[in-house]
Amino acid sequence: MSPMLTLPHRPGRVAMAAAMTLAIALLIAAVLWAILDAATDASGGSRVDISHLLRMTALQAGLTMVLSLLVGTVLAWALNRLRFAGRDLVVGLFAAAIVTPGMVVAFGLLSIWGRNGWINQASEALFGVSFDSPAYGLSGILLAHVILDGAFAGRILLARLDAIPHSRLKMGQSLGLSAWQRFALIDWLALRGSLPGLGAIIFLLAFTSFPIVLLLGGGPANQTLEVAIFTAVRLDFDLVGAVRLALTQIGVCSLVILLASAFTPVPSALSRSAQPSWRDSAPVRVLQWAVLALGAIGFALPLLSVLYDGLGSGLLRVLGQASFWRATLTSVVIGGSSALLTLGLALILALGRSAAHRSSGRVLLGIPAFAYLAVPAVVLSLGFFLLVRNMGVPVGTAAPIVVVIANCLLSLPFAIATLGPPLDAIMRTRGKLIRSLGLSGWAQFVRIEYPLLGRDIGLMLALAFCFSLGDLGVIALFGTQDFQTLPLMMYRALGSYKSNDAAAIAAMLLIFTIVAFVGLPRLIERIAHAPRR
Amino acid sequence: MLRADELVFAHPGQENPYHFSLEAQPGEVTAISGASGSGKSTLLDLLAGFIMPVSGALALDGEALLSFPPEARPVSLLLQADNLFEHLSAEENAALGLPRGTSKAAGRQQVAAALAEVGLTGFEAKQAATLSGGQKQRVALARTLLRNRPVLLLDEPFSALDDETRKTTRELVGELTRRHEWHTVLVSHHADDIAELASRHYRIRDGQLERV
Repeated sequence: MSPMLTLPHRPGRVAMAAAMTLAIALLIAAVLWAILDAATDASGGSRVDISHLLRMTALQAGLTMVLSLLVGTVLAWALNRLRFAGRDLVVGLFAAAIVTPGMVVAFGLLSIWGRNGWINQASEALFGVSFDSPAYGLSGILLAHVILDGAFAGRILLARLDAIPHSRLKMGQSLGLSAWQRFALIDWLALRGSLPGLGAIIFLLAFTSFPIVLLLGGGPANQTLEVAIFTAVRLDFDLVGAVRLALTQIGVCSLVILLASAFTPVPSALSRSAQPSWRDSAPVRVLQWAVLALGAIGFALPLLSVLYDGLGSGLLRVLGQASFWRATLTSVVIGGSSALLTLGLALILALGRSAAHRSSGRVLLGIPAFAYLAVPAVVLSLGFFLLVRNMGVPVGTAAPIVVVIANCLLSLPFAIATLGPPLDAIMRTRGKLIRSLGLSGWAQFVRIEYPLLGRDIGLMLALAFCFSLGDLGVIALFGTQDFQTLPLMMYRALGSYKSNDAAAIAAMLLIFTIVAFVGLPRLIERIAHAPRR
Repeated sequence: MLRADELVFAHPGQENPYHFSLEAQPGEVTAISGASGSGKSTLLDLLAGFIMPVSGALALDGEALLSFPPEARPVSLLLQADNLFEHLSAEENAALGLPRGTSKAAGRQQVAAALAEVGLTGFEAKQAATLSGGQKQRVALARTLLRNRPVLLLDEPFSALDDETRKTTRELVGELTRRHEWHTVLVSHHADDIAELASRHYRIRDGQLERV
């Protein structure tokens, strides 16, 4: 007998999820139709060199993937072995990589490695020598991507190492395995299944990266498809080129998703570390500390430099500008609306999936999660841009709604990955109990699922809010002087050479992100567990 | 003789600590039984060195063991599962028990002899993942032979085996214990395992070992 037969029958949940899947599919289809329609209508040539852009994008994404997996593996290895006060903080720091705005990291890198950065200033002061900045061009893009994606990979792989069965570790320790034998015989076995899937995600993140390439690319030679689409629409008014680039982008992303779907999925739920202590030899521990120190410095230093530069003289001037507070309010309202919309959609889809009895139904209801991965931010905004223009709606009027919907679609895969596994676990472990109690679908949600999901809902809201807060890809096409978010304001400040203003905005953006990412899960957990009357 | 004197240990939040004292003779199987959660696995963890007691003494033939980490203790382990590395062959798994620095040729010979002693000649190249439960336990016993440590700790080693395999594996453990003069400590909640194998039997009750 299938274990699913013990679950309560919830056809309403499945129907709602199916309706939502259909609505999202129709929306994506409309966006794609707008792009294809523009491609068919458009006459005349375009100057975009797709083969060069594709080569460049694939090269940086491939290198980012390899380097991030290497860095992530080494970081996870060191963190898994070492026990120290503040370890949870370091693990949390790496977990925050996924929501740290790319613009902020890029700005932090410039402040350290840029022409007028800390390193060059120190070099000039000490040795009278300055050097070319490695923060621009391919090296800068790779550095910024590896900082973010290496930390992200490290956190995911650490969860795999932390999940190794205790009995396996006991056996290995009792056999006196060396540090290398332990990695080769125990760790590698736990890691290798995750690497292809994780590699595909990192490849896609780098392939569709926008703000980092925009800020650090340093010119057309290092442009990627995503930035080229933005340039074609906003600067060159080359719609034909933009559409061709968008179609190429969608084709490559879909291919990578198809390949990635053949691999073992990456676990989304991050476990807590609670393993028996098995210390390696002293020289290996020195190496582990060195790796951890380098990793923490590499990730934290650009962020600290953003805070240091941003909380200085320029801050008061920026805080005195009405436009800053308007942009903050716009960011918060858009982030909040997008997060709430994401929560609603993700809950409908995840509850429907966990209630679906057939595996084919579960697969179908999971399809919306892939929408963003196949149709990245700038392409999605281009499609929406063309769609509202075709419908005769002024772009400025549609902008807020479009930005909220687009940001919601971008967050949806992460939201479903956050809520899906715990919901499945609730069904697995409490399905019989729920059935025997005869609870209605609503009572089941309010009394059982919502309190148990409290922290996961908070985490999901924080992820969606932070993604939206740091987004530049969507707002870049729709933003105007009157409708701008903090990242767009920061980008414009940089474009006008107001680097002090940009530093202050970056610092505030980082602070808002940290507060939301740390505070929201705790707040929602507290609300979910509050006593009910 | 393996001797534990008043090993005191408490898990976080545990109000009444365990107080374990036992004796295990060479060439004999000493059985430990008790209800679920009574502390059987904790006792094995203490003997193996995975956890340290607050106080007490542990010695083998008069030599104190508590200062040794798990890998340096004169102890081999056999658990209910996870004894082998599934991606390695039977030969490679058994060879993990060889002392460091053993030459390749000598190692091969010793591994072949150990596998023969547990009745697995011809299984050298088989992947551990393809072996049956009983064969896996035999490979782990071959590795124990190669490690040549005088204490063997068994944590429910026959629980996952069918009746026939259980019987033959049990007999093999008894035979190897006698032949190699091991101090074998068996944790089990199966009365027939204890009746068939054990010369000495302790039961854990209220955190203490009682001789049965």
